[in-house]
Amino acid sequence: MMLDKPAISYSYLLLRGSFLALISLSLGACVTASIERDRAGVTGLEEGEGVVIMAKSYHLGNETENKFINCVGAAIGRGRDGLRVVPNQEFVDALFPWFEPRTAPADTKGLPDLMMRPGVAEMIKEKGVRYVIWLDGTTDRVAGGGSMSCAAGPGGGGCFGFAWWTNDAKYEASVWDLAGLEDSGTVTADYTGTSFVPAIIVPIPLIARTQSKACKGLADQLKLFIIDEPKPI
Amino acid sequence: MSGWQETFFVALLIAAVSACSTQVSVRDPRIPDPLITAMPLSVGVRYPQSFDHFVHEEQVIGKEKWQIDLGASNKILFDKLFNAMFTDVTLIAESEDAATLGLDAIIEPSIDAFEFSVPEQSQTDSFAVWIRYRIKIFDRNGTQIANWPISAYGKSQTSTFGGDEALRRAAVLAMRDAAALIIMQMDKSTGISKLINNDNAMPTTAAPAVQQTAVEEQGDDAR
Repeated sequence: MMLDKPAISYSYLLLRGSFLALISLSLGACVTASIERDRAGVTGLEEGEGVVIMAKSYHLGNETENKFINCVGAAIGRGRDGLRVVPNQEFVDALFPWFEPRTAPADTKGLPDLMMRPGVAEMIKEKGVRYVIWLDGTTDRVAGGGSMSCAAGPGGGGCFGFAWWTNDAKYEASVWDLAGLEDSGTVTADYTGTSFVPAIIVPIPLIARTQSKACKGLADQLKLFIIDEPKPI
Repeated sequence: MSGWQETFFVALLIAAVSACSTQVSVRDPRIPDPLITAMPLSVGVRYPQSFDHFVHEEQVIGKEKWQIDLGASNKILFDKLFNAMFTDVTLIAESEDAATLGLDAIIEPSIDAFEFSVPEQSQTDSFAVWIRYRIKIFDRNGTQIANWPISAYGKSQTSTFGGDEALRRAAVLAMRDAAALIIMQMDKSTGISKLINNDNAMPTTAAPAVQQTAVEEQGDDAR
């Protein structure tokens, strides 16, 4: 007795899946970026000075992801032009309770009073923190659609359909100069990326890494913002 | 039902029950040393029994049961706090008569309420914890001079820490929030510093009006 050969063999499906994966990798999902810098004062770092990355208080409704804050901190400290980044928790603990979500100054007007508190200025100097970078913003899903259905049986399984979604990563970084007790300016990043998942038996995810691109873009701009002093005209 | 069937059934039941219950414990909130100057005040602190072992249990409607065991965390928190805020702190047992100790003030902290929300309830990816403490202050004669409610709030995202860890972190943040609020506002809200060297304080026939400060909204605004 002869068995019928399946119309489509698994090796063929695997080959087709790999081919689609290769195409998807070459195409990738697109992310559009917009970064703006608004400088309010002269910046620069002396030997031994560094920055600390903080999230704006959740008492004020801020929802910035811890993952994003950690990412920006790591990215600012990386590379040859990396800045010295003081770990956020170390700074907050050393200055307890003056940088807790409830007590941290809401704007630079509160800095002189904060510095007058016993031990605060000395501790900030000891930690070598020149700038506090306050992050605000989130990554949100702003649109999405399509449909995909998957099924599995004794002979195998597969998916068919098409799904997509758009993420918008909007963040603002306010830079405070603790030496001059003033606002040095802000850097805003707005990244939008659309991800697609087409599926013909094998789903091929084309993921737009919106948040991680916003993290890298914002960190690069913050490094330039802090190190680069504007040239006199 | 045979012996092994019974064992299997009981094991299955235990597994099913434990799968619907999550336990979180906070042994030490690790409150940092506050960067403050101590008030030159000799205070006695009397803790309620619940501060030795505080456990909160709650069944989220239609969801799992949560048990938060704060152990002696509240005691650790207030010990750290008051030892930083005052130059001389004495622990007073519940049965001890504080009037004989020659203290400037006696402080009695307690917990009024403990609440939390899980992501399914708040439709966010965060756990939130609210703790309502109450601080009563008595002068050296045992007359209550303040009855201060404090609402503290902590929030932690699940994406960074796992579910249990996020709730534990939210509880610790709420305790830190309480500590920050007490440091910032205790004197303003209770007038405790007025008891310094109050040698003329004598027992009075008419109790003075208790200073009740409505600060509950300070925590409520964070909800």
